Amino acid sequence: MLRLRILLPLLLLAGCSKGPGADLQYIKQARSLGAEWALVNQQANKGQVTKTYAASMHQWLRDNLQTTQSSLTQPDSRYGSEIHALLAQPDDAAPDELRSHVEVLKHIEDGLESA
Amino acid sequence: MNPLELTLGIMTAVGGFVDISELVFAAKAGSMFGYALIWVFFVATVGIMVFGEMSGRVAAVARQPVFNLMRHRLGLKLGLVTLFASLVSTLITCAAEIGGMGLILNYLTGLPYLVLAALSGLVLMASMWILPFKWIERTYGLLGLLMIVFAVSLVAIHPPWDRLAGGFVPQVPHGLSTKELLAFAYFTVAILSAVMFPYESYFYSSGGIEEQWGPKDLLTNRVTTTIGFGLGSLLAVSILASSAQLFGPANVGPEIPGSAALEAAIPFGPTGLLLALLGMLFAVAGAAVETCMANAYAIAQFFGWEWGRHKKPWEAPRFTIAWIALFLLALLIVMTGIEVMSLVEYAVLFSIVVLPLTYLPLMLLAGDKGFMREYANKWLAKGLGWLFFAVVTAAAIAAIPLYLLTSGGQG
Amino acid sequence: MKPTDKLKLVSQLIDLPLLDKDRRWCGVVDDVEFDGGPGKPMRVKALLVGPGAYRGRVPGWMFWLVTKVAGSRISRVPFNQIDTIGSAVHLRCPAEKLGLHAVENRVRSWIPRKGAL
Repeated sequence: MLRLRILLPLLLLAGCSKGPGADLQYIKQARSLGAEWALVNQQANKGQVTKTYAASMHQWLRDNLQTTQSSLTQPDSRYGSEIHALLAQPDDAAPDELRSHVEVLKHIEDGLESA
Repeated sequence: MNPLELTLGIMTAVGGFVDISELVFAAKAGSMFGYALIWVFFVATVGIMVFGEMSGRVAAVARQPVFNLMRHRLGLKLGLVTLFASLVSTLITCAAEIGGMGLILNYLTGLPYLVLAALSGLVLMASMWILPFKWIERTYGLLGLLMIVFAVSLVAIHPPWDRLAGGFVPQVPHGLSTKELLAFAYFTVAILSAVMFPYESYFYSSGGIEEQWGPKDLLTNRVTTTIGFGLGSLLAVSILASSAQLFGPANVGPEIPGSAALEAAIPFGPTGLLLALLGMLFAVAGAAVETCMANAYAIAQFFGWEWGRHKKPWEAPRFTIAWIALFLLALLIVMTGIEVMSLVEYAVLFSIVVLPLTYLPLMLLAGDKGFMREYANKWLAKGLGWLFFAVVTAAAIAAIPLYLLTSGGQG
Repeated sequence: MKPTDKLKLVSQLIDLPLLDKDRRWCGVVDDVEFDGGPGKPMRVKALLVGPGAYRGRVPGWMFWLVTKVAGSRISRVPFNQIDTIGSAVHLRCPAEKLGLHAVENRVRSWIPRKGAL
């Protein structure tokens, strides 16, 4: 019984270090990165930014998304799939397409925060 | 008081106010909390005005920079601890600024980031070798005035001015969850730290000695710290407010420092983007130079070496070796590939912990009639000084727990 | 303040910077040496400058670290070489006479004298 009393909090702690709760910060990062990508492309389509800036931002956004994806404790989750789908987009993807994935991530993020 | 010199001094302070940490945290704060954190920038700016004015006054009257007299006040043991802690925090800040330069040059040119960071470091070192102090300070400070494009961009996007003005009133937004409250508290602490970085007092007071300030320069000191820092702070508030208007509703964090330049690109296109990137580049470059020199000043003053860029490099040899070595160390940190955003977070975290140790001796010195004669702190400086000392001490205690609880402000 | 005035050693002397006759920084007052003994008047005989003088003022491990980085030399500044004491100790003579600029002068030979405006 004593062993269970010691083990249970440790198990709970271990549980908290995995799963959606632990991944919340990465979901937020991915949501923001996707939104930044969409904003850059929206401005690029209007001719408001230089090609060099857009290309450079695409590279950094993609690098950061990859880092976020590799930090997930549950990469096969719904949010993991959305991040994977974002990374599969071409650099000059349509802003609306990118934002559709951002909306899903935002919805998951809001759900986890209110839980 | 020479009006031209005074104007140049104010403009230098304005252009040199924003660094990579303020840029990052202003943009994030606006996106996450709208206009609700403007008052923290305002309060922190009053804090840096108070301590900046004190450090300039100590330099002008006692003719001693802060770190000389800090050792005398704290003693050798605590002085060594303070020196070490401020060296570490300022070195990380310097690395963040050099990394920031590499990033911005990458956005401008598309060339590899690490190569550009290394080149930036070399160019900065060359400029510090070739130029005397006044030219170093003025060059980067005045070129940093390109950051004014952020203020102009804010006006161009027609923000809700009434809500923006409301942001200057101390507040905590209603309806925040516990996580969001903790994140709000973390951003409060981070903004305080970013605005009141310890290196700013070391650099400013040493600069006063470099320029051979005396009691006749006290009005210059007061005007530079109030008007210069005040106007500079409005640039940071512009970045926050534009972020609140443009990034928050678009779900943008932002996670990449380069996204801040979109605030000028959206209203003004490629011209706005270029001006923003160039302004960011020179502001961050100036901060890189200031942080490196502040560390070299701290070491030289603590151990009683010859120091100063009003002297030629060979006239203050150990000081020269110190700033070269510190620049190379900062560059080495950048070359490890550690993310600039991580460096910014660590810089802000380490600096807030050092702040009480920095400002306590300054408070005691500036109030000491034995050193300061009739120029010692009067009631206003004393009252505000102790108030802000209490604020930064509370922030220093809360900083690390808040960072851990919020995963660095992510909530 | 003149050196012959009454002094509070900790608050008015220890850890003050030193300026020589030519107003060059030349160290910090790291410790003091006394003249006299039990039953006799105690006077400050000299100022001690250098990392070696940190012994007893910092914990043992800190002193070990300091000497590994900066060495353990101590320079003596006889009290009669002090002109005035204020926010710094002003000396009557150049730093070289008291061995205070030795390291500075050695390091100077490493710095090229070119390029600076």
